[in-house]
Amino acid sequence: MVGQLKAEHLAQVMDCIRRDRRGEEVSLEQVMRLAEVMAEVFQSAVRPVDEEICEELGGMAREIAAMKLELSDLRLGDVRQDRIPEAGRELDAIVEATEEATNTIMTAAEEIMAADASDPDAYQATVNDRIVEIFEACSFQDITGQRISKVVATLNHLDARISTLVERLKLMDLDGPESRETAEDRRRRELILHGPQMRGEGVSQDDVDALMR
Amino acid sequence: MALDTSIPVLVVDDYKTMIRIIRNLLKQLGFEDVDEASDGTEALGKMKERRYGLVISDWNMEPMTGYELLKQVRSDAGLSKTPFIMVTAESKTENVIAAKKAGVNNYIVKPFNAQTLKGKIEAVFGV
Repeated sequence: MVGQLKAEHLAQVMDCIRRDRRGEEVSLEQVMRLAEVMAEVFQSAVRPVDEEICEELGGMAREIAAMKLELSDLRLGDVRQDRIPEAGRELDAIVEATEEATNTIMTAAEEIMAADASDPDAYQATVNDRIVEIFEACSFQDITGQRISKVVATLNHLDARISTLVERLKLMDLDGPESRETAEDRRRRELILHGPQMRGEGVSQDDVDALMR
Repeated sequence: MALDTSIPVLVVDDYKTMIRIIRNLLKQLGFEDVDEASDGTEALGKMKERRYGLVISDWNMEPMTGYELLKQVRSDAGLSKTPFIMVTAESKTENVIAAKKAGVNNYIVKPFNAQTLKGKIEAVFGV
């Protein structure tokens, strides 16, 4: 089969490599383009020898072209450039808002604790004012709830895109190597760092007390 | 026997708000002499400079966790008797067992209330 390859076919492949090869990194798009060109080149080289293989090569070239089109439909650049940074900003804003509200509430509570009760009228006024501040600060929950909904929408969008990508590239069929334990993974394992558990997953204070006896 | 609230207490947590919460709860219980540290390394440094009557520490901190701090404290002859309470969101059975094995005096799971903190401190001092 290779013997049927002509100089012009090889020139097409070389041209493709030269055109796309810049620097050390090779993109998936470049690999797919090269595969597409090679399938087309082999197809024309094989055509006079074996019509059936020629058809199969043609099918592969069409499949690669279709896959490229589908990948561009996923708009992964939009996810990376806009949606993920935006979700990060939303989470930062949530942390900031909850911290600000917590500080306001704690300051009000501390002022109530420190208030002088010897003057009942002044004490009552202080307590009332601080309670109003606490109510006001609790309004953060409404805003953070909306921000969290936006982040959840982004995660769902990302989940859908990744699922489609895995499906279209048939990545489920590939058995990747077992993931290596990173230094951070090892630290978490050795120092038993699990973080907060979901409701019903961790042990309760009563369970802890029983274990400590 | 009444709780001796004159003892110096060291609160170790990397989250300032949690230190503030524990400090206020301790104040309500009568503890006025309260120091703070943001991780195990800082806490260990402070413990070598001053003798504390009680350490209340979070688990998950960097660079030195509360678990590492507990083990360091228990292996240091000068500090090994210091009462140590873990206050943490780490609520897996293996965490509690590891802390107990390392010599923790009591273990509180976050979120907690004032009554739990008071009860555990009293239990540590046999009140």
